[in-house]
Amino acid sequence: MKHNYKFLTIMIAMFVSQVVICQEKIILLNEGLWQADNGRISYFENGKIVSNQWFRDINGTKIGDTPDDIIQVNESLIAIAVNWSNIIQFISPDGKAVAATEDVPNNRKLASDGKYVYVSSFGHECMVNGSMVEFKKGFVAKIDINNFKVVAACEVGYEPEGIAYYNGYLFVANTGGYAFQEDHDYESTVSIIDADRMKVINTIDTKQINLYGKMSQSGKYLCINSAGDYYDVSAATVIFDCEAALNGKKCCTSLEFAATYNCTSADGNFYAIGSRYSYYTGEYTFNYITINPETVMNTDGADGVTHILPGTVVQDIQKMSMPYGIYVNPYSGYIYATDAGSFVGAGSLYQWSPTGVLLGKHKVYINPAHFLALKPDSGNDGCPDIIATGSREDTAIYNLHGIRVLSPVIGNIYIQKGKKFIYLNN
Amino acid sequence: MTATSIWRLSVCSLVSMWILNPRRSNAENFALVDSVIHLNELEVSANKHPIATVQKLSGKELQSFSATSIADALKYFAGVQIKDFGGLGGLKTINVRSLGAQHVGVYVDGIRITNAQNGTVDLGKFSLSTLESVSLYNANKLDVCQSASEYASGATVYLRTKKPLRDSLSVMARYASFHTYSGRINAQINRNGWAAFIDGEYVNSSADYKFRYKSEYEDTIGIRRNSDIEYGRIEGALYKKGFSSHIYCYLSERGCPGGIVRRLSDKYTNVGREWDKDCFIQASYNGRFGKKTQFKANAKYSFEYLRYCTDYPDNQNTAKVNNHYRQHDAYIAFSTAYTLNSILSVNLGYDVRTSWLYADIKKFQPIRRLDEKGVVAVNTTFHSVRAVGSLLYQHYKDYTTLEVGAAHPLNRFTPSVSLSYSLRNFTFKGWYKNIFRVPTLNDLYYTQAGNRNLKPEYTKQLDLGVEYFLNVAHWHASMQVDIYQNRIENRIVCLPLKGTYTWSMMNYGETFCRGLNANLSCRYSIGLLNLSVLGSFTWQRDLNRTDSNDTDTYNMPICYSPAISFGITGIVAWKNYSITISDLHVGKRIWSYADPDDILKPYNNVDAKLSADIGKFVASFEINDLFDVQYEHIPRYPMPGRNFRLSLTFSI
Repeated sequence: MKHNYKFLTIMIAMFVSQVVICQEKIILLNEGLWQADNGRISYFENGKIVSNQWFRDINGTKIGDTPDDIIQVNESLIAIAVNWSNIIQFISPDGKAVAATEDVPNNRKLASDGKYVYVSSFGHECMVNGSMVEFKKGFVAKIDINNFKVVAACEVGYEPEGIAYYNGYLFVANTGGYAFQEDHDYESTVSIIDADRMKVINTIDTKQINLYGKMSQSGKYLCINSAGDYYDVSAATVIFDCEAALNGKKCCTSLEFAATYNCTSADGNFYAIGSRYSYYTGEYTFNYITINPETVMNTDGADGVTHILPGTVVQDIQKMSMPYGIYVNPYSGYIYATDAGSFVGAGSLYQWSPTGVLLGKHKVYINPAHFLALKPDSGNDGCPDIIATGSREDTAIYNLHGIRVLSPVIGNIYIQKGKKFIYLNN
Repeated sequence: MTATSIWRLSVCSLVSMWILNPRRSNAENFALVDSVIHLNELEVSANKHPIATVQKLSGKELQSFSATSIADALKYFAGVQIKDFGGLGGLKTINVRSLGAQHVGVYVDGIRITNAQNGTVDLGKFSLSTLESVSLYNANKLDVCQSASEYASGATVYLRTKKPLRDSLSVMARYASFHTYSGRINAQINRNGWAAFIDGEYVNSSADYKFRYKSEYEDTIGIRRNSDIEYGRIEGALYKKGFSSHIYCYLSERGCPGGIVRRLSDKYTNVGREWDKDCFIQASYNGRFGKKTQFKANAKYSFEYLRYCTDYPDNQNTAKVNNHYRQHDAYIAFSTAYTLNSILSVNLGYDVRTSWLYADIKKFQPIRRLDEKGVVAVNTTFHSVRAVGSLLYQHYKDYTTLEVGAAHPLNRFTPSVSLSYSLRNFTFKGWYKNIFRVPTLNDLYYTQAGNRNLKPEYTKQLDLGVEYFLNVAHWHASMQVDIYQNRIENRIVCLPLKGTYTWSMMNYGETFCRGLNANLSCRYSIGLLNLSVLGSFTWQRDLNRTDSNDTDTYNMPICYSPAISFGITGIVAWKNYSITISDLHVGKRIWSYADPDDILKPYNNVDAKLSADIGKFVASFEINDLFDVQYEHIPRYPMPGRNFRLSLTFSI
């Protein structure tokens, strides 16, 4: 732990000294109000909101009802899951609509290997290669970005939510979230799918129910929120090791904290904020934590969690009416969080420097929740180069800890030739 | 019919804003006589001076509006905001002076329609056809002898059934736009002091209307889907002197369409369906002990069944919901009024109600609610001054084996005072009322939302008003202007819980509202020609006073509340023909504070109705939304636009 702090301090010092040259480009999805068709995209660049209706400005049309996830597929393509519109919208990084499909109804979260987009869905039907396929439980669909058609889909657990791509496999957190209304229980499993064949190869029981909400990924580690049932089972956090799961080893550890909103930090940890609520007592227990997944896994959860977020982030979030999302820009380490406010009013976007100095608060739209940072323009490639691990000729890829990585994960930040970059292509 | 009652009729007619008499046909005379009897029997007060703030639509003029449900009639009243999800089957509730729908009590012949589960009454379930009058009282009615429940809401809608005066049978058939068919049969008898009616109605509507959204960012044209409704209603009533009773049954199946959202095609419908079975039986008896004591006894039993389903398997992709809710409700009330002298009378009332709720939602157990109310009211009349003061006691206690436990019992006293002074044709009035709405069983116990620690939602209303009536030669006119101020505290709302993915009911928010309501009615009759003009106007400024740190919302208007709305209706009747034209204007409403573009545009809705009596037939033709204005009450829930209704009634 001590070592980590030292490392963090060094990093922070470096970021602070060169903050000025960072270029920040953030796409933020505002969910809007359910069934009001007022999902909106905000675009934020260099300390200013460029637009709170970015998609409308560029395309002249609305994005739809309740956008729920956004990912970068490759350098020229971004995918957005628009849940209640049953649409996966594809855009280019300049915001132009490229394509859209409605083949995956009740779509939830997205993952990609750069060639395909994988979508989890609470629905029970999917248009696969032009014919309708039905599923008893939930499913994951695979969309080919050459033609934006679903080429395969496979059944997982009830109401699958978080999805991550790691080393040729998909890891899908099942919620069973409709257990409250439907005739089945909450799920507690992570389904592992061979992404190439779209077959479930294993199902891991995490022993925690209702794996609901955003799932963050840091290398081989996943941070999964277990929402519990708000009655007898409290919320929890599951730290999951994909590599161990593929090797048939013990692969998950539970923490007695909520990770309602979570993200991957610049140094490969997870930030998690959330609360554990019980309808019996009407009481909440809040937590604002940094999770070092490696330490958590090595100590079986005994160590690796600190109740600290950089600078004033915790104090600032505590002042919010309704925290609604947290994010770290992988290119720069800048920290973001959103406040949904009163839900009928505009929410706010908060921005902090990597050390947690509050830089600004910006008015966005209703229920701002999901983020994507865009790569800074060339010649202005985000934050300064950090730790050069190896020579400039060395094409090996290293993570931010300086450890060599053989299978980098799309969307994660690595170091190559002494420069930080985000890994987008296979 | 006594001289007093006739006198009362004329006063009531003239001070009620909506009274007019478009025709002098025989039928109309019956209606008049009918009114007299009702007033005589039900308004046993001998007071000359009006004191309650009331708007009323009755008799022929009620039927001359192009309206099928009570909501259609009430929207012409000042201070009323209708929430309507569109189509015949769309939920219709009213909100009076921004108090919120759950503060509006709806009463059939003096007995409240309750719903312990959600506290709201869908006005679409009640037909105008059996009614003699619809009245809206701000605060409550102020008769000498009332039950405690009648004091227990922030605003009060009275539906008075039409008591038959002679034997008759009528059959109506109707065709309306969007594949809407309906039929109605009504039989009435009046023998030896007994009067009774049976009224049955069947309606089937696809409600597959066209809509269009056109803005800078879209041009969406579509046909409303899953908006269909099929219902049957049968009711009967029996009257004799002070005794009245009523039995009512309503069965329906309807689609519950969602908001119109962006879709790439028509492939998916995200919808629900709802089945209702509502029945009640009620009886009331008014009588006297000697000259000084009046009493009234009420009893009611009601049963409500609701099934809500997502449209599985047609709609495979949302949560598969199939829930059944059953409510039983038993009610008795006794009230008495003792007149001490010509100045003073005292009203005492005690009501007890028990409601049971059963539901097959998870983590739910049956709940029984005991609701007791007691009231003491003092009425004084001294020359031209009248004053009423009341103190209401309410006790609520819930019994349940739910694991979260029952809410703490509630015991509350709430006062109200009213004062009026009449001078020639003017009456000046002022009143104050403090009342709350109790958290409903859904608010307290609904799985994954209920909060048993909720406090009641309080309203404090203050009103100053003046009424004027004129009755000369061929002219009858009346006018009423009120200014008011309301404060609503501890609003009960459903909000997401901080830092979780779940929602809960909470006491959150305060509203401060100031407004002006005005009504005008003017009638001119000469020979066979009758002309009437009715107008209502509302100016209201209701402000969100929830969070003074939130500059985006604090002191901003409440969502969905227009600053200005008005209605104007003209009726021309000549011989057996009449034409009615109404225009309702509702001003701009915001629906979110997030963007100045998040508004519902102002609209004018013009309705027209033509009708003709030809022998035993009455034919009527109605056009609603004459200019096909596309408007909404709720964003993305389009209203039907221009539509037609053709009705033919045969009576003997």
